[in-house]
Amino acid sequence: MAAWRRAFRLHLRKGTVEQDVNDEIAFHLEQAARELMADGLEPQAARDEALRRFGEVERVRRTCREIGRQRHRGRRRTEVFSELWQDAVFAVRQLRKSPAFTLIAVFTLALGIGATTAIFSLLDAVVLRPLPFAHPERIVTLFMSDRGELRSISAGNFLAYRAGARSLASLSAKTDGSFNLAGDGEPERVTGARVSAGYFETFGARPLLGRTIEPADDSPGGDRVVVLSHRLWHDRFAADPRVVGRDLHLNGVVHSVIGVMPAAFDLRSNDSRLWVPLALTPEQATNYGDSYLRLLGRLRPGVPRAAAQAELSALAKRLETVDPRSNRGRGVKVEAFLDRLLGGLRRRLLILLGAVGCVLLIACVNVANLLLARGAARSREIAIRAALGAGRWRIVRQLLTESLVLSLAGAAAGVGLAHLGLQGLVAISPAGVPRLTSAGIDGTALAISFALALAASVLSGLVPALRTARPDLQTLLKEGGRSLGSGSPRDRVRTGLLVAEVALALVLLAGAGLLIRSAIRLQQVAIGFDSAGVLTAQVALPHADYPEPVRAVAAVQRVVDDASRIPGVESVAAISILPLSHNDSSSTLEIEGHPVPVEKRLEASTREVSPGYFRTMRIPVLHGRDFTAGDRAGAPGVVAVSPALARLAWPGEEPVGKRLAWSVDDKTGPDWRLVVAVVGDVRQGDLADPMRPTIYLPMAQSDLLGRDVEMGLVVRARARAGDPFALATPLRRAVLGVDPRLPVFDVTTLDEIRAASVATTRFNMLLLTALGGIGLLLAAVGIYGVISWFVSQRTQEIGLRMALGATERGVLTLVAWQAMRPVIAGLVVGLAGAAAATRALSGLLFGVTATDPATFAGVLVVLGGAALLASWLPARRAARVEPTRALAP
Amino acid sequence: MAKMDLLQGTLDVLILKALSWGPLHGYAVVRWITQRTDDALRIEEGALYPALHRMEQREWIEAEWGVSENNRRAKFYRLTEIGRRQLHAEAESWRRYAEAVGKVLATATATA
Repeated sequence: MAAWRRAFRLHLRKGTVEQDVNDEIAFHLEQAARELMADGLEPQAARDEALRRFGEVERVRRTCREIGRQRHRGRRRTEVFSELWQDAVFAVRQLRKSPAFTLIAVFTLALGIGATTAIFSLLDAVVLRPLPFAHPERIVTLFMSDRGELRSISAGNFLAYRAGARSLASLSAKTDGSFNLAGDGEPERVTGARVSAGYFETFGARPLLGRTIEPADDSPGGDRVVVLSHRLWHDRFAADPRVVGRDLHLNGVVHSVIGVMPAAFDLRSNDSRLWVPLALTPEQATNYGDSYLRLLGRLRPGVPRAAAQAELSALAKRLETVDPRSNRGRGVKVEAFLDRLLGGLRRRLLILLGAVGCVLLIACVNVANLLLARGAARSREIAIRAALGAGRWRIVRQLLTESLVLSLAGAAAGVGLAHLGLQGLVAISPAGVPRLTSAGIDGTALAISFALALAASVLSGLVPALRTARPDLQTLLKEGGRSLGSGSPRDRVRTGLLVAEVALALVLLAGAGLLIRSAIRLQQVAIGFDSAGVLTAQVALPHADYPEPVRAVAAVQRVVDDASRIPGVESVAAISILPLSHNDSSSTLEIEGHPVPVEKRLEASTREVSPGYFRTMRIPVLHGRDFTAGDRAGAPGVVAVSPALARLAWPGEEPVGKRLAWSVDDKTGPDWRLVVAVVGDVRQGDLADPMRPTIYLPMAQSDLLGRDVEMGLVVRARARAGDPFALATPLRRAVLGVDPRLPVFDVTTLDEIRAASVATTRFNMLLLTALGGIGLLLAAVGIYGVISWFVSQRTQEIGLRMALGATERGVLTLVAWQAMRPVIAGLVVGLAGAAAATRALSGLLFGVTATDPATFAGVLVVLGGAALLASWLPARRAARVEPTRALAP
Repeated sequence: MAKMDLLQGTLDVLILKALSWGPLHGYAVVRWITQRTDDALRIEEGALYPALHRMEQREWIEAEWGVSENNRRAKFYRLTEIGRRQLHAEAESWRRYAEAVGKVLATATATA
């Protein structure tokens, strides 16, 4: 009661603090003067004496006014909070009265907020958070640009750029490789990189322990040093702080550990685990033809990327005259490192964010509809509160508090869902996404989910609150509490929400549908070989153990021969790079009798194979003959070509019998090789890429195998031999029988390699399909809810119609048609929206256009069908209405 | 008898005491204090109001506008429960303080 009185008084005196103080002091002075006059003083003297006794009136007045204002502000604050608290307590009590409604609303919001929070956390970890380097925006990547394609750069060009580029503070080179790692524990195969001195400085990264690669290390002979990644240091050396100075066997050569990089330098799960010096030999340093280096540079402070591009392009122009054979018609491209690191990820994540945004909006629309229905049911309660003097704003505030409580509960549950979802996403995401593991529910994610809850409470609650808080008293009184007929504004709001919901669901489903079709198309792509029942493995023969390529090739051939005798094996072969690989090796060709200018020469993927490779892979030999054991070193050089190459090199002619050569120095003249076969096209790289022109040569005749020979083995199991993985152990034994030092690694099957090549597309498809499914479910539930409500409001009318002779079928059609009208409007709006939105997907699609009519038609049928079902159920209920019951008062 | 200046913090306890007999307006509080102390304490009357308002802020007292004995609008102050407890606490500490000082002065006189 006291609180009530205080609040009431406060209200009356609002803004009158000053007046109060004045009145109080005036009363005091008047009273004092009155008493002094009673003691016999003259009025003027009495007033003067009263003032004298009082002291400094103005100072007192000022002090009191200040205190009064403070009090007023404090009161106001506590009052607002206590009202908010009261509203929240009241809201919780109201919501607990209808647990079904509350549960559905909270779960719906949790789906929307949780999904959005999860994707946002992902975006934040992968894209938005700055890279852990000094001024990451200054790091650039350099490529050779060749007829629109980006390629690696030769050592000769690298040194020329490094010497000439003023716009770059540093320029370094890197080439990836794998290493047989031995000493201190089991031998293993690790990915690593050869890097030039200054590589780490380019990133502005300092070692955690020891030092990095310095110019003195970066020359042949001085290069027996290795820098460890944090991950390798952690996994293999148990984070031993005294690891610096220890020896490590890399590819059979002793290297001394000189440093360890910090954890932040491990950006991706499949990044380099160690670094050794590039140590270019004098021959390599003047080689302009072999392009295998990736260049990383750091812009000088204040130099824009365009300036560096202009300067390097000028250098590239000069290089065209230094070595026209390799450089003519080829330029250089400077790209931001982050863009290169992320590739299409930024866009993919933004698309996902758009999709979860749609889910969140649908969730909000659904909850808005639920709140409207609830508001209608509570219209009497609200009307009574309004009649008792509660202002409209006060009621709106109370209702909004209710949606806020719902949204906050939804956000709390959503954060839990997001946590689970993120773990799932990280687990199924394709390899190579940088900083993925750092995604999690952190302060940012919590702040985002809180902000989403606020937004959701307004989105879902404002319109229903405004509607509910304006009950039409007259209508209510007239209808005795029955609700408003169709055509009232409330109906229009509900219809509008339904249209929006259907449209959003259609956009989501169209995106999901396009990705599903892309994934199916990609699965159906002809790969050019029979992947079923083939085991594959890699075997590496380090230069230190096999200094002459001839011996390495002989060892591989012995492995192939020995493995062929394993029971259950049909045939075995070896190839330098397996199909469907991210790696490639290519060479520039000269075609006998077809001289072309340097910049128009053909480029073909080059593969060294053992005899029997085509048979083992079931790649058809279309013309000519297969390689045989007779195609050995010293015998006339032979090659097989793919149809894609044959069409380019000898259009309309028979390739078998023609000759071609690798581009070599003019001094020695071309080393012609005879084309003995045309073999079927094979997907060497990405499934979505066109067939690459390819050339095969017998591995025994190759002079292109690198220093450290690494070959892929393909082992075809006999039909009905069961799981090809059963052959892994005997294969390993066969390899160790040839040389016990050789590690066998990356043991898998061609089927798995094929599955991995569609992993990214499947990941996109799975996510968008899951979101589309959630959207469809929410939309169907929403439609069902609204139609049920329509029907329940029109039971009387329907009863009347039936009493007047309408058939069950007629009523069914009527109700369903009424329901489907907004659905159809939503489908039309959604179709337009989807046509615009799916354009963002075009880069992720394969084999379908962004507005693929079949997909759109299918999505229309699915969504329209779901809507029809959702409205048919309540319509059927309406059609079974007993006229007498419906008309009873 | 010479008038004494008021010790810091004394005004609060005097006001609380004055109000412990029932609601009073500011002027009446001044009258009450001067009468009880036989004008021995010199109070600058104006200083009373900031003290009253501060105590109102601390919720020791609450105020309400009413009508004075001669029918004028006046602001009446009343002791709250918090204020009553505060009065007891302050009165007790005053008593102990005076007692302690008194003891010291008594012994000082004896030895002098």
